[in-house]
Formats: sequence, structure tokens, C-alpha cells
Amino acid sequence: MKFRTLAAVLAAALAVGMSACGSSGSSTGTSTGKSSGPTGSTLTIADVAPFTGPDAALGPTYLATCYGATMAINNAGGVLGHKLACKTVDTRGDPADAVPAVNQLFATTSSLALVIGCTSDEAASVVPIINGHKMAMFCMTGQSEFDHVVFPYFYRLVPPDLEESYAMVAIAQELHYKRIALAFGNDIGSQTFIQPAIGALKKAGITLTTNQTLDLKASTFRTEAEAIIQSHPDAIMTEALGNADPTLFAEVKQLNGGKMIPIVATSAAISPPFFKAAAAAVGASTFASDFRADNLVTETSGPAYQAFSAALLAEQGKVPGATGNFTTYLSAPGGVHLYDGINLAALAMIMSKSTSPSVYAPDMITIGNGVPGATVVHSFAQGAAALKAGKTIRYEGPGGPTSFDSYHDSTGIFQVDTYSASGAVNVVGNLTADQLRALSG
Amino acid sequence: MTVFLASIGFGLVTAAVLAIASVGFTLQFGVTDVLNLAYGAIMIAGAFIAYAVNQAGTSVWLGLAVAVAACSAGSVLLNSGVYTPFQRRGTSPITMVIVSLGMTLIIEFSVQAIAGGTGVSYTMGQGRTFHLGGLILTTVQLVIIALSLVIMAGVHTLLRYTRLGKAMRATAANKNLARNCGIRTSRVITITWALTGGLCGLAGVVFAMDSGSFDPTSTDVFLVLILAAVFLGGPGQAYGAMLGAAVIGIATEVSAAFIPADYKYVAAFVVLLLMLGVRPAGLLGARA
Repeated sequence: MKFRTLAAVLAAALAVGMSACGSSGSSTGTSTGKSSGPTGSTLTIADVAPFTGPDAALGPTYLATCYGATMAINNAGGVLGHKLACKTVDTRGDPADAVPAVNQLFATTSSLALVIGCTSDEAASVVPIINGHKMAMFCMTGQSEFDHVVFPYFYRLVPPDLEESYAMVAIAQELHYKRIALAFGNDIGSQTFIQPAIGALKKAGITLTTNQTLDLKASTFRTEAEAIIQSHPDAIMTEALGNADPTLFAEVKQLNGGKMIPIVATSAAISPPFFKAAAAAVGASTFASDFRADNLVTETSGPAYQAFSAALLAEQGKVPGATGNFTTYLSAPGGVHLYDGINLAALAMIMSKSTSPSVYAPDMITIGNGVPGATVVHSFAQGAAALKAGKTIRYEGPGGPTSFDSYHDSTGIFQVDTYSASGAVNVVGNLTADQLRALSG
Repeated sequence: MTVFLASIGFGLVTAAVLAIASVGFTLQFGVTDVLNLAYGAIMIAGAFIAYAVNQAGTSVWLGLAVAVAACSAGSVLLNSGVYTPFQRRGTSPITMVIVSLGMTLIIEFSVQAIAGGTGVSYTMGQGRTFHLGGLILTTVQLVIIALSLVIMAGVHTLLRYTRLGKAMRATAANKNLARNCGIRTSRVITITWALTGGLCGLAGVVFAMDSGSFDPTSTDVFLVLILAAVFLGGPGQAYGAMLGAAVIGIATEVSAAFIPADYKYVAAFVVLLLMLGVRPAGLLGARA
């Protein structure tokens, strides 16, 4: 009897190893890509992102934005008689879990009007599905495979990952680092940075001391940390979300005689859960003093920022899964740019008088890029009022001006962020386009 | 060479954590006949119980004690409330595996619902770092290794020199025969759940101490390592699990010094397959 049990063990163990496959937070009803439901019904914005697993910090970041943006839109009267609501779809950061979760979303959500999220973890598998359903999406992926492939319903307000790799190397240059160790997670989203970074390091004349790939499911990285220390880098360039980076940092500090090696991270590290975990692992002040990250330039003052911060901070304490210093979400790249994406979509719906993506999506480009003589607006409320008055508008949100290309990509320029010991994000510099161009392949 | 020597030390720490978990798992399986795949989920539940105690401003070592007690009680409840009713109905062993898999998800998602999906760390220092001829170990890691050795010695003493240990071995060997010989097997099984549940809680907390940061899914892969150590040593064999843990733990870390580190678990499983090819019943399985 016991023998039969044993025979089943490996299969079952594999199932556990991949554990808890396919969970989705879906709950409401669907999309045909054309529908919107009757006037007065609630339209759904789906946050398709990891809420569990190593990249679990991403989903709540986008959800905070969704809550803030939809609250502001609803307070301004909604869209064509509809209120907006947010819905979570947990991809667990795994394409295998993301596909059924997204299929379930479309099967059960009749009022779907927009998808946000779709990170590098799952974009390659879910973007074709979402596009096939003719549903507009703002994706937080920098994967280069989307640089020159036409998905009519795919929109992106973040740069290709390779540019972010250049930005990290540019930070290393500015800080006069001569030796860099790479430590990236073994997930799709992190691995995409490595080759551009290696190329850029070479161009910058910086020595690559070691390239460690971190298994995001592993519980310790002592040997990897020791290998990094033995290679004597001036800094570590990294993106390994979940527990991986905090664990690595703790072990580097421990094995390096209590001294941290400076960190240069991607914009994904700008999130409250990441700071919380890293600060707990090595101490907040230690972490803050040795950390830099690239981030897209976003506004920190002015009317667009004021509207954004008011909307987001009004949702403090209401967003499921949001932990840590809530104000960090004001600087999180997803937070800012998806807020702009939701506003662009909502204004385009009003402009086109339709909640069908096939009708309203082209107007997102019109409103984002603007036309000569357009009235510049900085919030949904301003835009809705201007459209009601019969004006043409150009939306400039806290993410700055938008300029969609023929692939619906609109990328910004980079800034350098640090954390304070409280977890607040500080902007300490900017990276010019020339700097990045000099490092490009 | 330096990284290689250091990796052996790191392997010892991993092996120590793995040994505590594997011995509990294999004893549980050997005596109760339930392949409890929810073991990893109970481990992480224990880790979070200690975290809650730690966050309340007390020492993580007190949290460890609370976690051991809670996981011990929880395992007894899991058996009496879930596994035993299924077994009484004649549920097949393979179905019991699926039941335990279901409990894994239930427990793991419950922890996640309460604690959230993001990583946390204990508020504790790692103590001094000792350099011992190429090995680099902190005070906490040395304590974990010592704790593991004490547990192994305790398990050895229990199994070899106590009436309970003999009753556990008899029940593991043949439950019906043991019962006919006057051993109260149901009581032995309940005590086994309590003891192994305690070991599970202990393993969960030292696992979390050893990791810089942990979340509700952190033991998913670790459970696979536990199974590897158990099968390498011979299922149901406590000494085999100790040996298996040492091999898997050290192989995992040492391989990371020579191959891309994200393949370190693959290396450990290559070792497992090679050894099982030579000794299909496990390293000590033939002596069962």
C-alpha cells in the first residue's frame, strides 16, 4: 500500500512545487471588446498582474492606482453615465497561471472596458489573448518583443527594458563605479535586462565581475552572495523581486563583514513592499544609504501631480494588499503611468462617445499626442469638462507628455531615485537621452 | 576555492534546516502511513506564527516555542479532523496524497490571506560572523546547526531507548501486529503527529531565520527538497533522512559555486537520481 503512495509522490510533489496554480481574483462579469453594458452600469478595469508569488508587490501597486483613478473619475461624473470599478486578476507572475486567469476574466466579466498591468512576467502569453478579445490594455512590460509588433489594442507608457538596462549602467557611470556584479532573478521580466546591461557595461568600460542568476523560489543565496563578494564589485545591479533581493542583500551584508555593497536596481524596486522587505532584511538606513534605482521621470509638483496625489492618497488604507509607506506609490512607475492610461482611456470614451475599445482606443492616441490648438488638461475632470465644452484636448498627466508611436509605445526619460530611511522616494538626478544613446548597442 | 569552501559551510546550514524538516516528515510518514504534503504549508504557518510573536515585540526564540506548540497542536487536529476520517472510510493512499495536497493549498492560502503575499523578515540579528578555515558562519547559523544536532540526537534517543520510540518503530513496521502485541497504536499515532508537528514548526522557524526574507509560498520548493532528502535516505527512515538532508543540502550549495546558481536544485536532483539508480530503496532503505 505504501509503495503505491510512493509512486504518486513525485507527481504530487511537482504539483506542490508549482503550488497553488491558477488563482484568480476575478469576480464580476465580461467583455466582448465591444460591450459596455447599459447606461448606468459599472464598467470594469481589470488589473491583470501578480498578486502572489515573487512579484506579488506589482499587483497592489497597480491596484492602488486603479482605485485612485477610478475614484477621481467617478467623483467627476463617471464616463458616459457609467461608474468605473477595479477588479484583480492574479497571474502569480507565471504565464501558465496567467492564461487561465485571463480566460476566466473574459468569460466572467461582461462589463470589461480596459485592462491594466500585464507585466513582463505574463505579457507574452496574455497580450495576444487580450488583443484577440479586442480589449484595450496598458501594459507594464518593457519586453523588446513588443517594440515592433503590432497589437492594435496594446498600449505602453513604459520604455523597452533595454533602455532601462542602459539607465542602470548610466547610474553606475555617474557614480564612477568600475566593477559591477549582476544579480537578476530567473523570471522572464528580470532576465530581459541582462544582455543589454552586459553590452552597455562593455561600452561604458565597466568590468562585469560576475553574473549571478537567482532562482526566485530559492530560500537562500549564500553561495551566490559569496561569489559576488569574492568578485569585488563596486556595486550590484539587480532585479530579483519577491524575497530574492532582500534575502540576497541580507546575505551580502552578513558575508561582507556587516557592510552592504551599493545596489543599482530597476524601477520595479520602487514600491512599498520592496522597501519594506529590503529594509527589514538589512536595516532601513543601511538599505537607503546604499541604494539607487532608475525610474521614469514623473512630475512631483504641478496640477497633474496634485490631482494624482490627491486621488491616490484618498485611497490610503482601502487598497487590498497595499503595504508599507503608501506615499511610495506616488513614485512607483506603474502607479503613475497606469493612472495616465486609465485617464486617457476614460477621456477617449467620452470623446468617442463609446466604451467599446475598438471605437475609443484610437482616440487615446489623439488625446495623448494632441493636435495643434488642443487644450492641455491635467486630470480627468478637466478633460471631461473641456470635451463637454466642445474643445479638443491633449492630456498631460503626472507621467508627463505622451507621444505614442505607430506601435502604441510612448516612452519617457529617466530619473535616479533613492529611498529615505522612512521609505519615502527621493529624486536625486536625471539621465539624459544622450547618456542612454551612448550606451546603446 | 574560497567560494567552494564557503559553499560547504552554507551547505551545512541548509542541511541542518533540511534535516530537522526531513526527520519530522519521514517519521510522520513511517508511523502514520500518511504522506502529508501539507507539511511545507504547516512549516510556513509556523514561521508566520513566530513572526507574529516577534512583531509583538518579543524574541523570535519565544516565537519559535509558540510555533512549535501551535504546529504540534495543528498537526494533531489536521490528522484527527481531516486525515483520520478519510482513512476510516478506506480512502486509498493515492487519494490521501491528493487530500494532503488540498490541505497544502488551503493552509497556504489561509496564511496568505492573513499575512499578505509579500515578504517579511524576523526582527533579529545574525550575531557575529565566524570564519572557520574557509567556512563563513554566523552565530544564528551555528545555533541552527547545533539545534539540528540536538534534534537528531533526541530522535535517536527516542527511537532507540524509549518505550514510545520502540512503539513508534513497531507501529511503522506493522500496525496490525503492533496492535495485536498490545501497543495502543492510535495513541502512538497521535503522539507521532504531535511530535512531528512540533518538528515541522521548528523547521519552519529555523527555515525562516535562515532565509533573509520569507512569504507564504517560500516552502513550496523546500518541500520538494524535503521529499528528496527523505527518498534519498529511504522513506520512513529517520537516519536515512538525516543522511539525505546532508547530501542534498551540501550538493545544492556546492553546485551553486560551479554552475549557474539557478540550476542548483537541478544538481541536487541529479545526485538523487544517481543514488536512487544505485540503491532504489534509498541509502538506508534496505535495512528497513
